[in-house]
Order: sequence, then structure tokens, then C-alpha cells
Amino acid sequence: MRDLGLKVSGVLVVLLALELCSRTGLLSRDWFPPVTETYAELFKLAAGHPLWTEIGRTLSGWALGIALATVLAVPCGILLGSNQTAYRMTRVVIEFCRPVPSVALIPLAVLVYGVGLEMKVFLIVFVTFWPILLQVIYGVQDVDPVVRDTARAYGLPPLARFFRVTLPSAAPYIATGLRIASAIALVLAVTAELVVGAPGLGQSIVVAQSNANLPRMYALIIVTGLVGWVLNLAFQAIERRLLRWHPSQRQEVAQ
Amino acid sequence: MLEVSHLRKVYGPDPTAAPAVADLDFTVADQEFVCVLGSSGCGKTTMLRCLSGLIPFTSGEITLRGKPVTGPPEDMAFVFQDYSRSLLPWMTVRRNIAFPLRYKGVDRRAANEATEEALDAVGLAGRGDRYPWQLSGGMQQRVAIARALAYRPSILLMDEPFASVDAQTRSGLEDLLLSVKQRYGITVLFVTHDIDEAIYLGDRVLVLRPPATVGHAVTVNLPRPRDQVLTKQEPEFARLRGELFAAIDGRSVAA
Repeated sequence: MRDLGLKVSGVLVVLLALELCSRTGLLSRDWFPPVTETYAELFKLAAGHPLWTEIGRTLSGWALGIALATVLAVPCGILLGSNQTAYRMTRVVIEFCRPVPSVALIPLAVLVYGVGLEMKVFLIVFVTFWPILLQVIYGVQDVDPVVRDTARAYGLPPLARFFRVTLPSAAPYIATGLRIASAIALVLAVTAELVVGAPGLGQSIVVAQSNANLPRMYALIIVTGLVGWVLNLAFQAIERRLLRWHPSQRQEVAQ
Repeated sequence: MLEVSHLRKVYGPDPTAAPAVADLDFTVADQEFVCVLGSSGCGKTTMLRCLSGLIPFTSGEITLRGKPVTGPPEDMAFVFQDYSRSLLPWMTVRRNIAFPLRYKGVDRRAANEATEEALDAVGLAGRGDRYPWQLSGGMQQRVAIARALAYRPSILLMDEPFASVDAQTRSGLEDLLLSVKQRYGITVLFVTHDIDEAIYLGDRVLVLRPPATVGHAVTVNLPRPRDQVLTKQEPEFARLRGELFAAIDGRSVAA
């Protein structure tokens, strides 16, 4: 409770400071409107339908991209994680593709898929595939040898070893991969909307900017922040539930 | 019950390289409790991994109840030293004990009964719904023993199972092991580096000398049931202790 109080007052102090800077003219009011105006705009937007449509557009790209990347990356990761030859063969390719800056692909994506949802999904899949893939590979490779021996000593057939032992062992890694991918995917969705003008929150920000509606622009920036924050909370909550056995999630320790 | 003849294990592709197990011969009779004593690096672990069918051996023969061991046998159970890693943290205690039974073809009801009985035998009745990591080290090793018991093996292999618990817990676990051995009527092959533990538990003690040959063997003529205080006060206990101490050192035995 006390912790929550501290957090809330921290936020309030920052907001108050920003408000004062703007009102006193320390920050130019033209570019930095008072926080109260931004928030008034935010609440006005939240009451109306269009904001939620824009959030929905951004999130549908995000969700489709993550889902597709997961469907592709998990089987590949399992294969590469459990087969040394395949891993060695593909390592260079992975190391080359992974660091390609995602925005460098935007022209290609536009060329192939136009400016709509497909383009966004393509970008997100291409970029989030790698962190998920790598986490799955590490997770599968990192199964404890004692656990492996236990499963074999007790006669588990290979398929059962995979589902009962390898997959649960790798689950925390996969969860981390998905959380990283989620953050990247949101950045990419908004970037694609900003740069290309695909419909969504990013495009709304550009529109507000070109109309010189600064409170609205700030309000929308805050919305993108909130969306990221909520997504992260959701991932944490799911992890806490599914991985409650994992040391990082345990609420209690051995007596 | 278990017969090992001319067992030889060389790691790596070169069969003339230094062997981890050179030429090992011994037998374990039905219902017998045999302790294998050896300092670290003498090939105890390699021997156990060969016996349990976890790794292939270079030459020689291992037969369990007349059948040659080529992979993990169905009527053998293994208790590892590292209980905290050999129990699966994502399964409750009950599931940890029950999951190997399914792959042995035991139906659900029989598996549940075997699990409850094993929990009761190790004094953990009522703790089945806990997770292993919610239990103390000694209790975790009792869960590992319960898992082995529920598997209904004819022989139980134990790899220094009590080496990482405190002395108090250790004597409790030793007595527990003797009582469940009686109750389940199983044969035990127990590897340890502790001379007192080997004498206290065993019907026979084999001393292993690098590279894993039986350097010395003694029959323990101490009355059962054994008692942590009285048994260790017997002159015979002290005599065996001296003999085994010398044998481990590689000195000839003083009469």
C-alpha cells in the first residue's frame, strides 16, 4: 500500500513539474502545452469512438505479427535447439538476419504489401521472429542434464520427454522471447504507421501534428505508452500464472 | 539379480584411450544391499550410468535378472545425488512420483495408489500437493525415493543420494531407506564415498579403485535392524571401518 502511494506521488510530482514548466514559460508553451490540457484532450479522445478504433488497428497488426512469428519461430527453434548440425548450419544466417535494422525493410514491405495491415504484419514477423527463435533455441539447449537423465532412466519415450520435460524447461525462455517480441512489435507497428501512413495510432499522431493540434499529439503519444505498458503487464501476469513454479516467479521459498 | 562381468567403458572414439571403467566384475544378489565405496574420480558415476543403461559401454556384459542391459531397464529405478534438479519443478510432488508410471503401462488408478503408498512410506503423506521447491532438501530427496519406490523396481540404484544434506537429515534418510527397502523388498546398489554410511547400510561393501575395478570387498556381519548409535558402537563396525579405510587408501590390510 505504501509502495503504491510512493509510486503515485512520484508520477504526480513529475506531472506537476511539467505543468509548471509550461505555465511559467520555462518550456515554450507552443511546443510543450500544459499537462492538464494534454490530459483533457486525452479524456476527450477516450470518450470518443475513433481512438479505440485506432488502438484496435495498431493492436491487430501487433497481435497478428506476434502470433505468426510465434507459430514460425517455435518449431524452428525446437528443431535447431535439439539438432547440433542444423544449429551450426544456420547460425551464420541467423546472426546475419537478426541485426538488420527493422526500419530498413520498410521500403521492401511497402513495395510488396502496400500500406495496409499486411505490410505491418510482415515487418513485425520478420523482426520478432529472431528473438523468439533464439530464446526457444537457448531454452531447448538448456534443459538440465540431470532432468534429461531422470526422464531417460524412468523410460520416457522421446515424444513424452519432449512434451513433459523439454518444453516445460524451455517455457521460461520462450516467455522471455515473447515479452521482448511484444515490445519490438509495438514499436514496429507504430513506426510503420508513422512512416508509411498505415492506419493506426502512429498515423493519428502524424495527423495531429500536421494540424498543429499539439495537445492531441501528446495525448496520442501517451496512449501509445499506455498500450505498451498494459501489454507488458498482461505478459507479466500470464507468466506469473503459467510459470509459478519457476524461481523468478515463486512467491514462497522452501521452509 | 544383477551381474556385471568384464565391464569396460572408454569415453571417446579411441578404444585404446585410458578407460573410465577398466575391468569391473561383481554381482548383486536378490534382496541384497550392496554399497560401492570409492573416492571421487574412481569411476563410480560412469559405472552407474552404464548399469542404468544411460550410456553405452565399450565391452563386457551387464545382465539384470538374466536380461542384458542395453537401455534403461523397466525394473530399475535411479535416485540421483542432486535431488533439487532431478525433481521437476513444474510438477507437484504427487505428479513427480506418478508421471513415470504412465509410460510403464500402469493404469491411472494403480498409479495413484502406488503414489500414495510411496508418499506414506517416506513419511510425506499429505504433502502430495506441494511443489518440490516448497520442501526442505531432506524432504525433496524423500520425494525422489518415493518416485523410485512407486516405480516398483526390482533394483534401486542410488548415486550418493545423501551427500548434499546435513548430517542430522542424513541419518534420518539412512534409516528411512533401510525401512522402505524392507517394506518393498527391493535390491539396492548404493554408491557413496562415506565409509561409515557404507558399513551402516550395506550387507556387502565393494571398494572401487581407479579406473573402477573392485579393489576389495567385505561382507558386513552386523545385526539388523541397525541402529545409528548401537550399530556404530559394535567392535565389528570399528574393525570394518579400519579395513575399508586402508583399502580405499590402497594399502594392504593390516590384520
